[in-house]
Amino acid sequence: MSRSVMHLRTQKRAYFHRKAFIDMFWRIVRTLLLLGLCFVILYPLLYMVSCAFRTQEDMRDPTVMWIPHHVTLKTIQKTAEAMEYGTTFLKTMLLNIGCSLVQVMVCAVTGYGFARFRFRGRRLLFGVVLMQILVPSQIISIPQYMEFRYCLGLQPLAEKLSPTFGDMLNLINTPLTMYLPAMTGNGIRAGLMIFIFRQFFRGLPKELEEAAYLDGCGAFRTFWQVMAPNAASAFLTVFLFSVVFYWNDYYVSSAFFTRNETMALMLRNLKTLLWGNAAAEISPREQIIWLEAGCLLAILPLLVMYAFLQRYFTEGIEHSGLAG
Amino acid sequence: MRKKKTLSFVQKKERYGYGFIAIWLVGTLLWFIIPLIESLRYSFMDVKPETSGMQGIWVGMDNYAYALMGDGVYRNALADVLWEMLWKTPLILIFSLFIAVILNQKFKGRWIVRSIFFLPVIIATGPVYNIIKGNIDTSGVSSARQFSTLFSVDLIGELFEFLGIYGMSDAVQRGIETISDNLSGIVWNAGIQILLFLAALQTIPSHAREAAEIEGATGWEYFWKIVLPLVSPMLLTCLIFTVIDSFTAPDNAVMERVLELQQLDWQFGRAAAMVWLYFGIVMAAVGIISAVMRHFIYYEMD
Repeated sequence: MSRSVMHLRTQKRAYFHRKAFIDMFWRIVRTLLLLGLCFVILYPLLYMVSCAFRTQEDMRDPTVMWIPHHVTLKTIQKTAEAMEYGTTFLKTMLLNIGCSLVQVMVCAVTGYGFARFRFRGRRLLFGVVLMQILVPSQIISIPQYMEFRYCLGLQPLAEKLSPTFGDMLNLINTPLTMYLPAMTGNGIRAGLMIFIFRQFFRGLPKELEEAAYLDGCGAFRTFWQVMAPNAASAFLTVFLFSVVFYWNDYYVSSAFFTRNETMALMLRNLKTLLWGNAAAEISPREQIIWLEAGCLLAILPLLVMYAFLQRYFTEGIEHSGLAG
Repeated sequence: MRKKKTLSFVQKKERYGYGFIAIWLVGTLLWFIIPLIESLRYSFMDVKPETSGMQGIWVGMDNYAYALMGDGVYRNALADVLWEMLWKTPLILIFSLFIAVILNQKFKGRWIVRSIFFLPVIIATGPVYNIIKGNIDTSGVSSARQFSTLFSVDLIGELFEFLGIYGMSDAVQRGIETISDNLSGIVWNAGIQILLFLAALQTIPSHAREAAEIEGATGWEYFWKIVLPLVSPMLLTCLIFTVIDSFTAPDNAVMERVLELQQLDWQFGRAAAMVWLYFGIVMAAVGIISAVMRHFIYYEMD
């Protein structure tokens, strides 16, 4: 009897020893793994910082791996000049925040409509929302260009009346090409935002609105006064993502802006901005520090924003209802 | 007696529903449905931009035939991109689930790691990623990946050499090399998926783990028999997200070719056919995969 108890005890001890060992081992493996992967992610960014402050000689010097021998601000300064950093930054920010604000509002309203009301054709129309998520903007950008260029076919008529009026209706190169779709819930990744809002509003308790309805509140007032305040964090998350999407977009804006208007376009055409037609003669190895400096300048605002609002990015997705 | 016409509550709510989606509906008609139909029309036409608008002649399936038979660049790009999607998507899913499981554990500095893993979502969509990838020609039409600053070292190959293993079969060697070379590509594209999985993992109640431990399940069994079935709905979401994310990216080879035709050659008809073809193939693939996966997904009944 006592023998078997003893036996059990040693077994138990062995079990705990083994468990402690495995735990310890796993902790070490986990730390190494995560450190390694974080390095993989941060590597290009570290390299970017290291490059942006180098002189040309350091680029050619094979002994310089990470820390430049000659630190200089000249590259950054020249790149910033070529990109017209101050104006571009303000312009891009203004456009992004403006578009994002109206787009988030409209998407929230639409998402709420899909979440809480039954109406004929709802399933079909929500299918259209899903299509908007799936269809790449490359499919629709050229017809959209024509719509903006000829203002939905009105421009040729206006042209006949007076050429200046005709010019006014040519919307290409005006911020309206970004604002009009954003205002009507069709801007960059608007489908995804409508989907997220719909999921979010479906997750809120119905009692919230029912109380308001009983008090004689109309549907729109209920939405703004009861539902929207409850969705404040969802609004913020979607807004932040929207700003990031608009900031990084270069496909849509390159289709409608022939001039370099936004940060992403400036970065894309950085070589031409720096060297004009001579860009082809400059070897890639020399170009790299300029491009990396340009990258650093272009993502700096995003990094700053991320550093302060990181919580809303990561937690927002977890609570958006996409998971449920 | 005057018959008062009142709407029932249900009818009223229906009207409100249309009211809420009205703005979007107008926008969608203008900036989505019409362009979509136009673009489909272009794909059957030889389109030329004129001063008064797009002019075109109907050519039937010629553009599609050209895309598949005539355009070598497109065909190769299509094959490459589809192939890459085929092997990369499962790897991204496995990787992000694995990382999510790790990040779901408690340890010091967890939020730092989490915010670093999410960092690529902020950056990786813009032209910045092109430069990081070594696509020096930032105009986006050529893809010479000669100066990649993405981390890619054949660690595993070196490890095997260090251990004195040389005689591995070439196929295995090559497979491992592709994976380790593409490690950063996978890590850089897994940000959202990690968060989605993490959210799904957090819905698993802690008593599930306790019960499993009392029953004597190992961590391994716990993962396969409890965690995986519970996150399986998210697996489908992540799969679709990954596929869409990679195929709508302007920096993938097919889209680059389309962009080239649109912006440099002004071959709008051909470009439209190419993009529709690509869209059709990807959607068919997503449809088949999600139909198959539906059988393996476990939905908890409330």
